[in-house]
Amino acid sequence: MGALTDKYCIVGVGETPHMRPSNRTTFSMACEAVKKAMADAGLEPREIDGMTSYQAGDSTSSSHVATALGIRLNYSLDIVGGGSSTEALVAHAIGLLEAGYCKVIVIFRSMNGRSGRRMGGQAPSGPVPPVRAEGDAQFYMHWGWTSPAQWFGMSAMRYLRDTGTTTKAFAEVAVAHRYHASLNPKAIMRTPITIEDHQRSRWVVKPFRLLDCCLETDVAAALIVTSRERAYDLRQPPVFIMGGTARTMAPNSAWNYSRPEIHYVAGNYGRNRLFGMAGISHKDIDLISCYDAFTFTTLIQLEAYGFCGKGEAGEFVKGGRLQIDHELPCNLSGGHLSEGYTHGISMVIENVRQLRHRVDDACPGWAEGKHTYDRAAGCRQVKHARIAACLGWGTETTSSSLILRGISA
Amino acid sequence: MAAPPTRPLPVADDLSRPFWEAARQHRLVVQRCQACGYFNHPPRSACDACLSPQLCFEPVSGRGTIYSFTVMHQPAVAGFAEQLPYLNILVELDEQPLLFMVSDLPIGEREKVRIGARVEVCFEEIDATLTLPQFRVV
Ligand SMILES: [Zn+2]
Repeated sequence: MGALTDKYCIVGVGETPHMRPSNRTTFSMACEAVKKAMADAGLEPREIDGMTSYQAGDSTSSSHVATALGIRLNYSLDIVGGGSSTEALVAHAIGLLEAGYCKVIVIFRSMNGRSGRRMGGQAPSGPVPPVRAEGDAQFYMHWGWTSPAQWFGMSAMRYLRDTGTTTKAFAEVAVAHRYHASLNPKAIMRTPITIEDHQRSRWVVKPFRLLDCCLETDVAAALIVTSRERAYDLRQPPVFIMGGTARTMAPNSAWNYSRPEIHYVAGNYGRNRLFGMAGISHKDIDLISCYDAFTFTTLIQLEAYGFCGKGEAGEFVKGGRLQIDHELPCNLSGGHLSEGYTHGISMVIENVRQLRHRVDDACPGWAEGKHTYDRAAGCRQVKHARIAACLGWGTETTSSSLILRGISA
Repeated sequence: MAAPPTRPLPVADDLSRPFWEAARQHRLVVQRCQACGYFNHPPRSACDACLSPQLCFEPVSGRGTIYSFTVMHQPAVAGFAEQLPYLNILVELDEQPLLFMVSDLPIGEREKVRIGARVEVCFEEIDATLTLPQFRVV
């Protein structure tokens, strides 16, 4: 067992629906998500005294949300960031709790990722108006090379060539996450797909097809972190934080791929810390979330975090390994590919629900932890969900992670 | 050929100005560390390899290999809609492993793209003040 084991817990989770468009402000959505997370935990506003959020200059602030909900904060902070921020803010929350800055901390992300600032590179009305290409961007933007699909696509294209992997490996990821979304009433894309559907879908940025790319959605989501002592009094079975990494970086964080090896992404530098802190090994992991901005980002992080060897992810995911009831169920809510896009927080939330054994699916007794495990009837609870790994991705050079443990199952 | 007026255009800064001035004279230069010989691109205030601040721009061969590429099918950026689908290549310059530059490929060259293809620099004059180093398949 590691140093952190059983000291801090995630005790509340909540989110708005995934909308396209929301016709709401990020403020209004954030308030809804935080209220739901408090209700889930059984916490009153006066019991919350810390709040943090992450954003890309596209959202409301902790102080604004807290004031509107009657929460007086002893600690607030809003950071700039997208993917990999959630797990990093959980690490940050643990430090604050440990040092006594506050006692109960909310973390949220609220974004109009479809109707407002679109991460995919387009404006809501169409192409982005021209910008001045400054800093490193002055060396690539004028070639129309401006979006995450193009940046990660460059890595992915070379990965395929170096490893002999085909885009059918991408398809395995898309099919698994979509299958899970089909069991999630909250997911936007719920119609199951096949490998062939993936291979037939149109190119967005080659090597990525439409079904390799995450959705863009309007949504807010929140989770609450506190101490074990506090957690025992609350409404839900506690989910313990066993270990993690917080925005681990590759040696050179620039876009230019100037790393010792192009496929050696940031997670490689974090995995020994993650498993060392948690005091467990890969075989102890029952389910994972693995950031799926694109199918490829899930694939490469399986290698980075040591679930398979270098260049072996394509072989590893074959035959549905990432699907529920198989060896390593991944992104049980459908992930960013099929549920909706939250810059990572929704994947941690899903793992919390899985570890509580209270996934909000079609089972009538889900809220009491009663599941049928009948997939045809819409149950998406992983049967033996005891330990989950959350593998967050910012870029090839930035990654965060968490290992969580539940008490049920 | 004049670029569409809506295309994003580079803004030179203190670090990059020699690169763009050389490009205007149809010369490709890359910042090189005078302490350890490492090429840095984009230009840095300290060498990526040894942190030395002694950095000068030196001419390079302009030859390299396509390390990877993407094909853009989405009209994401103004100025590129009529070019869809368009290619971006990651060029590994001969001077140093993993010394990369991003380019597109001139229209008409796009069928020739493949990882490992040899390329050389050419220059696209946008106007009197700006020339873009571009690469074409040889
Ligand atoms: Zn040097």
